[in-house]
Amino acid sequence: MIEFDHITKTFKEKDRSFTALSDITLSIHEGEAFGVIGESGAGKSTLLRLINALEKPTKGSVTIEGVAVAHLSKADLRDMQKRIGMIFQQFNLLNNKTVAENVHLPLELHDYPDPLTTEEVLQFVGLEDKKNSYPSQLSGGQKQRVGIARALITRPDILLCDEPTSALDQNTTEEIVEVLKKAHKEFKMTIVVVTHELPVIKELCQRAAIMDQGEVREVIGVKRSDERGNVKPYHERAIEVLSNG
Amino acid sequence: MAESISLYIERVLEYLPRMLESLGETGIMLFFAMLAAILMGIPVGTLLYLTSSGQATENRLLNRIINALVNIIRSFPFLLLVVAMQPFIRQVYGRATGDPIAASFPMVVIAIALYARFVEQSLKEIPKGIIETAQSMGATTWQLVWKFLYVEARSSLVIGFTTAVISFVSYSTIMGVVGGGGIGDFAIRYGYQRYETDIMYTAIVLIIILVEIFQWLGLKLAKKLDKR
Repeated sequence: MIEFDHITKTFKEKDRSFTALSDITLSIHEGEAFGVIGESGAGKSTLLRLINALEKPTKGSVTIEGVAVAHLSKADLRDMQKRIGMIFQQFNLLNNKTVAENVHLPLELHDYPDPLTTEEVLQFVGLEDKKNSYPSQLSGGQKQRVGIARALITRPDILLCDEPTSALDQNTTEEIVEVLKKAHKEFKMTIVVVTHELPVIKELCQRAAIMDQGEVREVIGVKRSDERGNVKPYHERAIEVLSNG
Repeated sequence: MAESISLYIERVLEYLPRMLESLGETGIMLFFAMLAAILMGIPVGTLLYLTSSGQATENRLLNRIINALVNIIRSFPFLLLVVAMQPFIRQVYGRATGDPIAASFPMVVIAIALYARFVEQSLKEIPKGIIETAQSMGATTWQLVWKFLYVEARSSLVIGFTTAVISFVSYSTIMGVVGGGGIGDFAIRYGYQRYETDIMYTAIVLIIILVEIFQWLGLKLAKKLDKR
């Protein structure tokens, strides 16, 4: 369980300060897929970054299974970060490493008790034929799948997704959401996904927090539409949208 | 025409042993400068980057001290740096003039300062997301540097190194003033001071060829390393 307890985060610039999060209290249950939705500047990315201590709260505390993240020693924080995978809007792959090297990177940093192999995880995201390619040779969707594989290889307990589909077109977005759903089902980790795209939350998450101007307005249960995602080719959808007045 | 060409070739052959010796001296000075750039310039430049503001390892005091040192060395007119270092070189090495190893001391100092700046610049070009990714994986500072920063910056580091080495060639031509020798000193002594202009131009062409070779090798290697 991840708990935010009266979190406030202010960023100080030279002459003024900016409140990104004000007095947020929230809990995310173990094993659920939790969405955080809001317009850009609502503070959702900051909220996500507090979980793995990329940001530290100004006030309040974030606890994971009762342990306050901000007050851990360097070694303990590292142990905590080892249990948390993260994927990013811009993928953040190393461009000078191959797909296989990128995916294997977390295992080069630390020992993990029960990691997947590079082959297993590349197969899981459907990129086993790209293992010797470099990121510059991949499409956006493929790059994000590499990002997901890199996060999954350590079998994290928590997977943080920071605008995972915002750099992608709609069809690729659905593809990535499918991969994330499959990962959730297979590995049963807690997923926290931050996005401004409603369909991503609708398709992936059980609950969602709606954020606005640094505050959580509401936390709601997500009802999934029964109709399966309409995965039509891009050109068909373009015709549908553009030619219907 | 044919006669003057054969005369020129004869003269070049006559000076060839001394020219080769001078090239050897340049080689010694460049070797120490390059070694210093790699062994010291890279760590100092990395430290400049890691201690700069906004980094997790920010350290204002250390950053200011290194910055000041690098700036002071780089703003020294090189000839004055050479002269100013004479007492120090004499202390450490026993003699300050007359051989290329003594002349390498100022080369080493400028090499570290110059390449450290290039390294810092190269590292600054790495997208912030890469550093964030390393942090999210719980990478130590050492791992951040070796497994992320140097990997992503490697072709830019090579290009910077090439530019630095070309500057070293230029700096090395001054070393004649302290008897360090080198191809630049050769050009001045035989060509300029003894009015043997053809020999001077020959030496200058050699220097240009040397620079072109470094440039070509550097770009080729950088291109090979760059998968972006």
